[in-house]
Amino acid sequence: MGIKDIVEGKKQWREHMARVKALPPDYEIVYREMQKYLFKVGPVALSEGNLLSEIVDFFEEGAANGKGVLELIGTDVAAFCDDLIKDSPTYADAYQQSRSAEHAAAEE
Amino acid sequence: MNFWQTITGSDLSRDWKAFEARAEALPEDYRAAWSQIKAELMGHGDFTGRNLTPIVDAVLGLLEESAQEGQDIHEVLDGDIKGFCAALVGGEDAQTYRDRWRRQLNRNVAKKLGRLGG
Amino acid sequence: MEDLTEMLKGTLEGCVLEIIGGEETYGYAITRRLNELGFTDVVEGTVYTILLRLEKNGLVHVAKRPSGVGPPRKFYALNDAGRRELATFWAKWAYVSTRIDTLREGGR
Repeated sequence: MGIKDIVEGKKQWREHMARVKALPPDYEIVYREMQKYLFKVGPVALSEGNLLSEIVDFFEEGAANGKGVLELIGTDVAAFCDDLIKDSPTYADAYQQSRSAEHAAAEE
Repeated sequence: MNFWQTITGSDLSRDWKAFEARAEALPEDYRAAWSQIKAELMGHGDFTGRNLTPIVDAVLGLLEESAQEGQDIHEVLDGDIKGFCAALVGGEDAQTYRDRWRRQLNRNVAKKLGRLGG
Repeated sequence: MEDLTEMLKGTLEGCVLEIIGGEETYGYAITRRLNELGFTDVVEGTVYTILLRLEKNGLVHVAKRPSGVGPPRKFYALNDAGRRELATFWAKWAYVSTRIDTLREGGR
């Protein structure tokens, strides 16, 4: 599930969010806040991987085992998010890179 | 040169048409913010539409999900569209903003889980 | 012991590799093992982000198996690259720990 699916497959996106709504309330709250944070930070894993649906997989498993969401991922939700995307460059990184490449080309 | 003239390639303009269609479906105050965000991103000057596409895609995702939750648009953007957009495209102050987003995330989680428990 | 997070950073991945190296296992069991060892602050979410990285870096073999409750569980086993990575981890650990011990003992 990448964010491209929001554009290209409204249906997949709706199905994805339906899974989110089916989570216990504490999981749903944390998932939604995480998703908004990830949209802002913009790791390329959003569109090039299955980041979002993998998080839901993990949350479904945790919920099935009867754990609370903070018990599962710890209270520092932001740190958990950053850990998840540690290896992923962001869209902003790519944008900055393309800009400096353009500058370099212009100077030649 | 205006925004639409900048977006030339045909696949790009198709992307942008899709973006505009999504923006149309947003509530009014969100649409106003969207216009400002667009203008702000343009203001970053020599931008390449293609590289901006995934950023805009993610921003729309943020706006759509926040609108659906009935969140106040000012809360979503932390009341500072200029800084918000600068952070989206990266660069000097992006790290400061990311720290703000981090705190915002943990604060919102604590607040909403607190309401749930109480 | 608490507040080990900073110190464990960089070694936790090696610990997870070692546990997986013993036998095929899954996230929750790995977390339990670490908690029993005395790393009580380690939560499943932390182990999950490590497992994702191991998977993306091609160090583990992953198999989905049905679990008693909830969605199927992902089981992890080391592949050849993972075993090499584990050997490298222990070599680095030996290097660092012997030098730190030497420092503590006042030697040179």
